Amino acid sequence: MPNEEEPSVLRQLARLSTIGVALVAATAIGLAIGYGLDRWLGTSPWLTLTFTLFGIAAGFLNLFRDVGLIGRGRK
Amino acid sequence: MTKNASAQPSGGKGFWVFLGILVAVNVVIGIFFAPRHVELEHPPIFQIPNFLAFLGVPGEWMPAHLTFTWLVMGMLLLLAALGTRALRPVPGPLQNFVEVLIEAFSTLLDQMIGRQGRQFLPFIGTAGLFILTSNLLANIPGFVKPTANWNTTVALALTVFIYYNYCGIRKHGLQNYLKHFCGPVWWLAPLMFPIEFIGHLARPVSLSIRLFGNMFGEESVVVILLSLVWLVMPYLIWLTVMLPLGLFVSVVQTFVFIMLSMVYIAGAVEEGHGEEHQ
Repeated sequence: MPNEEEPSVLRQLARLSTIGVALVAATAIGLAIGYGLDRWLGTSPWLTLTFTLFGIAAGFLNLFRDVGLIGRGRK
Repeated sequence: MTKNASAQPSGGKGFWVFLGILVAVNVVIGIFFAPRHVELEHPPIFQIPNFLAFLGVPGEWMPAHLTFTWLVMGMLLLLAALGTRALRPVPGPLQNFVEVLIEAFSTLLDQMIGRQGRQFLPFIGTAGLFILTSNLLANIPGFVKPTANWNTTVALALTVFIYYNYCGIRKHGLQNYLKHFCGPVWWLAPLMFPIEFIGHLARPVSLSIRLFGNMFGEESVVVILLSLVWLVMPYLIWLTVMLPLGLFVSVVQTFVFIMLSMVYIAGAVEEGHGEEHQ
């Protein structure tokens, strides 16, 4: 019985501890891509804004998947 | 009991009084009189000369995290070689240990990925054992954590990133794999593709930063905390608080890393079956 119980608690702990970093990382990646493209193409604020928004969306998508709101049916 | 001891110092409670006085003296001395410039890094227990200087590696000695990466690799290779040298139906102690390790990873893979999970055992097992060994090793004073250096964790996370994408492409083919990035409906594809792309790029970043941050942060907290106090207090604090915490964090972070790797691999391999429920 404790063998059944212990991994699931650990797994939930592991899964929950990933949320904070994943959200920030996706946003930062989006910002970095947008900033780099802006520097390259010279379209100053627009691509940074667009890709930051994409990054935030990606972060929340990852967050919902990690928490299990979307992938609930899968496993 | 301890409250009673500090209230009335008599009888056999002298130890607690002594401990209390020690703590108080330590705190006072540590706060007011301790030297401000403590040598925060004590040298690693062994170093090897820099024999890669012609490749541009700086310094007189090899970087410590690299040396200890090689040490961990050597330990694991030795364990594998000794554990599988003479396989017997009734296992000896070392073979038993190796079997327990492999059994644990296999069970985890079966739970996370399913019946086709066993084929990823070499990769997941290697990554997990490497991270676990290097995390646990550095709880011995004088040893350096390879995982407390961002270069090591970035290498690990990039390996995971490349590997799960390779698994997905091998399973579905490049075109089908990329199609999963585009979302369920075709007119959402221009919106979904950048989002999924950024989400996938964020995975190695968050993997590496999480492992590095936990390990480096724990190490730094130990160093700073121990440099604030004096006499035997550093060893008491280290033994009672930081060492159990360090062991716990080491195991949990290893588990987080390999569990997330398995989640990514499962997502890359399984995504084809997710279409019917869209």
